[in-house]
Amino acid sequence: MAHATSIQYEPVAEIGGGAYGTVYKARDTESGQFVALKSVRVQTDQNGLPISTVREVALLRRLEQFDHPNVVRLMDVCATQRSDQETKVTLVFEHVDQDLKTYLERAPAPGLSPGRIKDLMRQLLCGLTFLHSNRVMHRDLKPENILVTSQGQVKLADFGLARIYSCHMALTPVVVTLWYRPPEVLLQSSYATPVDIWSTGCIFAEMFRRKPLFCGESEVDQLGKIFEVIGLPPEDEWPTDVTLSRKNFPPLMPRPIADFVSEITEQGAQLLLNMLTFDPLKRISALNALEHPYFQDEETLTQTKS
Amino acid sequence: MTLVDELATAAAKGNTADVEYLLQEGAQVNGVNCFGRTALQVMMMGSTPVAKVLLKYGADPNVADTSTGTTPLHDAARTGFVDTVRLLVEYLADPQARDNTNCRPIDLARANGHEDVVAFLESL
Ligand SMILES: Nc1ncnc2c1ncn2[C@@H]1O[C@H](COP(=O)(O)OP(=O)(O)OP(=O)(O)O)[C@@H](O)[C@H]1O
Ligand SMILES: [Mg+2]
Repeated sequence: MAHATSIQYEPVAEIGGGAYGTVYKARDTESGQFVALKSVRVQTDQNGLPISTVREVALLRRLEQFDHPNVVRLMDVCATQRSDQETKVTLVFEHVDQDLKTYLERAPAPGLSPGRIKDLMRQLLCGLTFLHSNRVMHRDLKPENILVTSQGQVKLADFGLARIYSCHMALTPVVVTLWYRPPEVLLQSSYATPVDIWSTGCIFAEMFRRKPLFCGESEVDQLGKIFEVIGLPPEDEWPTDVTLSRKNFPPLMPRPIADFVSEITEQGAQLLLNMLTFDPLKRISALNALEHPYFQDEETLTQTKS
Repeated sequence: MTLVDELATAAAKGNTADVEYLLQEGAQVNGVNCFGRTALQVMMMGSTPVAKVLLKYGADPNVADTSTGTTPLHDAARTGFVDTVRLLVEYLADPQARDNTNCRPIDLARANGHEDVVAFLESL
């Protein structure tokens, strides 16, 4: 790890304040380009950085070697010792000057074309397939963390740090959006890569609706909103390791997804339902989603040629 | 955080509603944040709506970065957001401005393969 971040990278604005540290938009004074700086403070002892941090950083660097088109580049990692007990690790990422939230807001009425949505979804799923095949889950997918270049290229940001962060969470409570959270996270059950597919489903629906699909105000409210659409899951699918009982929710039947997401095709609706599946084990994987008939029609073929 | 810091952050996050609200609350549109930059300098370049609000409120489009001489038009051209480029020019951003490496916005657009931006800037 190199040092002296402060000289080459000049922060220009704060763009995120998580539980663990701050995210800055900064300028790389050598290239003139913007970068995103994310730092984590980690406790150190006489052996230096904790092994868990070193492993995580090594994993991110390994991912970087694949140069995947749908994840942001990790350009640099710097460590600055703050004191005997604390070191600041700064990750320098490529900065992309547009997120999916802005991209959706900017799309003139009546919104994105079906072809554009399909293209964005394919790129998003390619990025996820790549992360998942390297056993990295994102955990916090939402339109603000999905970046879109001026050429329409999708790049995922804010991935793979979950484990570094969770080891070093400060005590400051942060408000995090619940809208893209899957049931197993809301229920505080165990979870893995299917969490990202749920979030992707919510975002897929949002591309058509141009507003979020499930806007809950608390964990229970969020689950209630989800069941209003997908129906209350059967008893045998309810996780056993959770405190919240299924009896807290009214016995709702699933409603046609087209009631909530108009203009979606038959195949699109089918894929969406495969993503918004309550049981994470039955939820479609990123790789299988890419092979779904939704992506196989003519429209798609002409798109890839151009 | 001061009001101007908040304005710069909202602009950098592409949060149009917050930018508008903070300006109504009296945040100085040409004030600098704790890093010495104006909101227009740090805004999310792809967020033409944020650019529009700031410019309507009188943001100066020709403030150059103190370290690199980069103007917002340089950044918008380099990143290829043609709508933001047009808007900045409409609000009198200088297309001939040169950064500390002697590049104009069009040079950065060309170097990054943004043909639509190059074509627009050439047409001026
Ligand atoms: N590489 C990047 N390029 C541009 N913007 C970025 C980049 N990485 C992060 N951002 C923006 O900064 C915001 C905050 O970053 P990030 O998500 O990493 O921090 P966070 O503290 O986890 O915030 P949040 O809880 O909102 O996700 C993101 O929502 C995203 O819009
Ligand atoms: Mg985040």
